Amino acid sequence: MAQTNSPTQGAEMPVMALDRILSMANQIGDFFAPYPPERRAEGIRNHLRTYWDPRMRDQLLQHIAAGGAGLAAPVIAGAKLLQDEAHAKPGYYGPPKA
Amino acid sequence: MPNPIKPEKSVVTTCAYCGVGCGFKAETRGEKIVRMIPWKEGKANHGHSCIKGRFAYDYYNAPDRVLTPLIRASIDDPWKSVSWEEAFAYAAGEFKRIQAKFGVKSIGAVSSSRCTNEEIFLTQKLARAVLGNNNIDNCARICHSPTQFGLTQTIGAGAASQHFDSILQADVIMIVGANPTEGHPVFGSLMKRRIREGARLIVIDPRKTETVESAHCKADVHLAIRPGTNVAILDSIAHVIVREKLYNEAFVHARCEVAEFENWKALVGDDKYAPEVIGPIANVDPADIRRAARLYAGGPNSTIYYGLGVTEHSQGSTGVMCLGNLGLSCGMLGREGVGVNPLRGQGNVQGGSCLGSWPHVFSGYRFVTDHATRSSFEAEWGVTLDAEPGLRLPNMLDAAVAGSFKGMYIMGEDPVQSDPNQHHVIAAMKNMECVVLHDLFLNETSKYAHVFFPGSSSLEKDGTFTNAERRVSRVRKVIEPLAGLQDWEITVKFMNALGYELSYDNPGEVLDEIARLSPNYSGMSFALIDQIGSAQWPCNKDAPQGTEVLHREKFPRANGLGTFMLTDYVPTAERTSDRFPLLLTTGRILTQYNVGTQTRRTPNSVWHPEDVLEINEQDAIARGLQDGDWVQMSSRFGQIQLRARISERVNPGVVYTTFHHAKSKANAVTSDLSDWATNCPEYKVTAVDVVRIRVPTGTASLEAARLEAAE
Repeated sequence: MAQTNSPTQGAEMPVMALDRILSMANQIGDFFAPYPPERRAEGIRNHLRTYWDPRMRDQLLQHIAAGGAGLAAPVIAGAKLLQDEAHAKPGYYGPPKA
Repeated sequence: MPNPIKPEKSVVTTCAYCGVGCGFKAETRGEKIVRMIPWKEGKANHGHSCIKGRFAYDYYNAPDRVLTPLIRASIDDPWKSVSWEEAFAYAAGEFKRIQAKFGVKSIGAVSSSRCTNEEIFLTQKLARAVLGNNNIDNCARICHSPTQFGLTQTIGAGAASQHFDSILQADVIMIVGANPTEGHPVFGSLMKRRIREGARLIVIDPRKTETVESAHCKADVHLAIRPGTNVAILDSIAHVIVREKLYNEAFVHARCEVAEFENWKALVGDDKYAPEVIGPIANVDPADIRRAARLYAGGPNSTIYYGLGVTEHSQGSTGVMCLGNLGLSCGMLGREGVGVNPLRGQGNVQGGSCLGSWPHVFSGYRFVTDHATRSSFEAEWGVTLDAEPGLRLPNMLDAAVAGSFKGMYIMGEDPVQSDPNQHHVIAAMKNMECVVLHDLFLNETSKYAHVFFPGSSSLEKDGTFTNAERRVSRVRKVIEPLAGLQDWEITVKFMNALGYELSYDNPGEVLDEIARLSPNYSGMSFALIDQIGSAQWPCNKDAPQGTEVLHREKFPRANGLGTFMLTDYVPTAERTSDRFPLLLTTGRILTQYNVGTQTRRTPNSVWHPEDVLEINEQDAIARGLQDGDWVQMSSRFGQIQLRARISERVNPGVVYTTFHHAKSKANAVTSDLSDWATNCPEYKVTAVDVVRIRVPTGTASLEAARLEAAE
């Protein structure tokens, strides 16, 4: 029973209001701002990957695909690493890796 | 004639109020508790107690305690009393119906820090193994989630580095955003003892709290910062330490990642964090920032204790990292008398954090995304587990408002009163099709619930609590559960009704399961605690009776080294304006406890019958207010009415209230901003205005409220 996949709606419905997603993502970007660009992007990627429900990540990525209005550029750069398998890393604690 | 209150039986147990977790002897006559005697052998309290643990126990017997399960199809219907079997069957049927219609992830669960370790562990098992998702959170989300996040990033463990008695070796005590003499009184007394012996005291708090100045307690430096400037002030203290080279280079080179230390030095050493720049932003004298930095770095033993004044901010996690950075830079970790220590609000916040009631980690703070960790739980529980993080409590509420989240099992919590932006929480609750509430009383959340499981108080069940110093102590059943079942039994039977077969003879078997699945608890058992009284984690084969001081030789990170995070100050989006020119901050008082579910039902209310608004005389004069006047306080989110008290404890521009009483609805005004990393709400900063109003109709006088409370 525990492994039944969602049979009907739910998947198509946005998990929560978009403005909430965008403001949370920008806050994460603000924290990693002092790191150099490569580490900053990885820090944002790791945070989204480790702490966000996948539906929230999908909603963010769909918004980025549609232009990403309202998102800071480093947040877009970090979120895009979620789609790049070469950047997949296990979750970790500590400073962002290069 | 025999003495009618002479005890016949005495049971050693653990207080369920604050994170000190005092040992008590609960003494009974028949099935009634007649007194609570502080336990002399208790290692957290050594025979001391406060006014809550000692006297506020009668809530268990309050006339409005609910003793039968209740159900209803709609929140507009009256409750219907039913049998336990019918309640479990109804709730399980509804959850299954909702998951079939809206998907596996449309339901979640929330546990509470008022529950035992065993209950918290079982609630996450219910979400992960039975509901089949990771939508599991606990009330530490809204208090100390930034502690877990921030401390783990820097020193590797989201917990106090010290045992309480360590403070007796401290030379300098820094208290940040906490008020232990009110909030953690037994620890507060220990702190005062050390201050009487000559320890220096630094307090960082917007309010001139009882810790800043009261009997046996006077701060050498009080930084009365503007609410919301913690990170700026902590970075400025770090700036002085870096520029004046007060750091402990030998410790950093031996124990820390040196490259990250250099990056950190470059950031906080920048002119933008000079006390002369930050002083005006934080509204404190730059010379006091320098004094605080020199005192802390000078030690020789300096220790940090902090509370929700650090965590409940949009930069709460960053603030906690600042404290980790400070401790590492000055070598104030790894021995007695030093350390970085969260003071936990509720009795079992540390346990709530340790035992996997989080959407992203299992017990032991190990990620759900980690295959090896997940496999160990899958093997024990016999099901495949979700490999993706679930929704956090605030996200569950957001998702409920959006319509994608439809049901919730809430164990021992009152989100409608406790969580910020009450209107948003109520909208979320009303949008759900089945809210299952498991509590002692019909609280504010019960207005929006469909099923009520009548729970057992901590006097009516067996289990363990983990206090703020990582000490695991026994909770022992003193009287039989009034509604028939202990809380852990309720959760197990609910799991059974949902179709998952499992049974335990007693909660000691749940602790055994915790020990099998959680490295820091691997040596814990009822037998060990019964034998030695209590044990601090890590408790394992290397430390069979537990560990008092963490980080003695290495930090629990992959390379064993502590590290530094870059903690830039980002001002909160919550700002004062012409319309809302004051900043509201909140706190607790000695005699009451959190939202008051327990203490308000005891004679302790005689001492604190209502929440009042502290306001500086200057702001009061500007509003034509006199002491005791009724005021309306408004924010962008709502308004509430309460009585004003003119007070020198708050600076001009800052107002303060407690949140113990449901009728004052403090969270109707608090903002929906939250910590960037954990979504912990920013309770401590809300822009408000205050205007005088006539006495609201139907309001009892203060004297009448006192009398009513005393009856």
